[in-house]
Amino acid sequence: MAGVLLSRTEKVFIIDGVKDEYRSDGRSTIDYRPMELETNVVSHASGSARLRLANTDILVGIKTEIDVPKPDKPALGKIDFFVDCSANATPEFEGRGGEQLANSISNMMQRAYQSPQAFDLKQLCIFEGKQCWKLYVDILILECGGNLCDAVSLAVKAALFNTKIPFVKAALMDGGNIDLQLSDDPYDSKLLDVGSAPLLVTLCKIGNKCVVDPTAEEEKCSSVSLIVGVTGNRKYYSDDDTEELPAFQPKCSAISMHGPGSITTTTLRNAINQGIIAAVCLDEALGKTVVRERRDIEKFKRHSYGFLK
Amino acid sequence: MEGRPRALLERGLCSAVDAQWLMMMMMMMEGRDCLKSYDEVYSGLFDEKGHRKDGREMKEARAMYARGNFVSQAKGSSYIEMNKTKVVCSVFAPREISHQNEFSTVGQLFCEVKFAPFSCHLQRQPHVPDAEEKALSVALRKALEPTVCCHLFANFQIDIFVYILENDGACLAAAITAAGLALANGAVPMYDIITASSIAIIGDKMFIDPTEREEHLALSSPETKQNHGVITMSRMHGLKQIADFRQIGSLDVDCILKATDILEEECNKIVPKIQMILVRYINNGIIQQKKLAEAAKEREAALKIKMKEWSSSIIKISD
Repeated sequence: MAGVLLSRTEKVFIIDGVKDEYRSDGRSTIDYRPMELETNVVSHASGSARLRLANTDILVGIKTEIDVPKPDKPALGKIDFFVDCSANATPEFEGRGGEQLANSISNMMQRAYQSPQAFDLKQLCIFEGKQCWKLYVDILILECGGNLCDAVSLAVKAALFNTKIPFVKAALMDGGNIDLQLSDDPYDSKLLDVGSAPLLVTLCKIGNKCVVDPTAEEEKCSSVSLIVGVTGNRKYYSDDDTEELPAFQPKCSAISMHGPGSITTTTLRNAINQGIIAAVCLDEALGKTVVRERRDIEKFKRHSYGFLK
Repeated sequence: MEGRPRALLERGLCSAVDAQWLMMMMMMMEGRDCLKSYDEVYSGLFDEKGHRKDGREMKEARAMYARGNFVSQAKGSSYIEMNKTKVVCSVFAPREISHQNEFSTVGQLFCEVKFAPFSCHLQRQPHVPDAEEKALSVALRKALEPTVCCHLFANFQIDIFVYILENDGACLAAAITAAGLALANGAVPMYDIITASSIAIIGDKMFIDPTEREEHLALSSPETKQNHGVITMSRMHGLKQIADFRQIGSLDVDCILKATDILEEECNKIVPKIQMILVRYINNGIIQQKKLAEAAKEREAALKIKMKEWSSSIIKISD
């Protein structure tokens, strides 16, 4: 990121450290820095989450709207990602500076959520071929401290977990048009099944090894990073532990490369494997956190921190 | 076909919106088989012998025709045809980056991919780039960045335009290979030749160099938990490096690693063809240059003779 200047010796120190699997802050190659997550922070959105990972600050709000499904996919709902890089994040984002980055993140999210095994759009269907829910996922980058993709995917999954969609009380068929009556009661709503939603893991190539969640200094030492989207495990996101779920195998829902460098085949293989291991750990941690938070909200035990912490 | 919804509308059996919708469905049905079930479409990909619809084996890529010097106005250009996928690429000379505040120490690539309005089943909007075109442009730039020596033209950008005349699957792979050839054809300094290949995966079947139907089905939703997805990989042959790797869908690790090996082989298969084309152009260039030099010599000799004649005639006149 901007403003980090490293001398050659500092770079050598980091690169040689990673070679022997040592990082300057003591993490292993698949460890993340500590994060803060709070859900249900925006009252006007159907679901929201705020995530802070080191200096990266992300706010995600989800709005729902009734829409007509695509003719070739009549039984599926829609989901749209929109990333906004605020000029507060770094001065580089001023004007149209952040547009390219924003596009690449929203593209990556769209691709990762494309497979029904990652996110099932059938749950957004209201009337097949007539009406469906459309989710607008608005991602606001408040502060940019590197590793944006990972933070965005975590915050989006938490916000989707928190999203409530009102039940349809009655429907009136008038000719071909449908008039829906939605429930006014905020508690009379359904939650989305987001257990399998993918998390993106950025693997930063330093030397011949890859590290996840690079610091700004580590990012300076690398010319290319691999972004791997890995589907989540439903088990970590279900409320009752008794429910039987089929055996879980993490799958890749999207892979992409970022940066001007290139990698060898062996590095690619190792990186994909490493990314999946990191994603499974991360998914478990996120699942536990959001489920605990939901329980706290139900029991009115939760302290709301907002942005004041 | 269009008569039926209209008749329904006239008899008042459905609303105008519905009739329009039905009509759209029917029009799309002819191009894409969206009303067929998944299994029907899947079995439609094979003929009776278990080959693919165009007679290829599963592991067989389409035959490729490639040439350079396709656009006379561009510095470098190329044309690639893989059966029904046809791509034109042109590269223009470096020019200064306009509207930029800061000096950039490395050069930039500006890539634009455009579909011809008649390239797909769906009518595309000309002029306005849609989301797919934008995504392809970004993917193309990412794939080409590692192979072009960007540090050699600081504060300059190279424009690369790809026009997809016909799209029958694997258009990104074709675009990357075409752009690599056009860059080399335009004598842009590069580290290596870049080639790309694509694979579609449905269950345990791997379709190398997929057609549009195969690609479409690999991206749509099966009911089961089987693997499905599309991978496009571009590779620099001599350096043994992967320049870009893109995957969409849902695939397990073993499948991806297996596909990577296959793609690597496929990318390598294209390299000799591209090398041959480039060598041929260089040879042709040398022959052309020789011819030009000879022609110049002849002209000079003729001119000398003329000069002698003139000078002698001038002397005569002065006498």
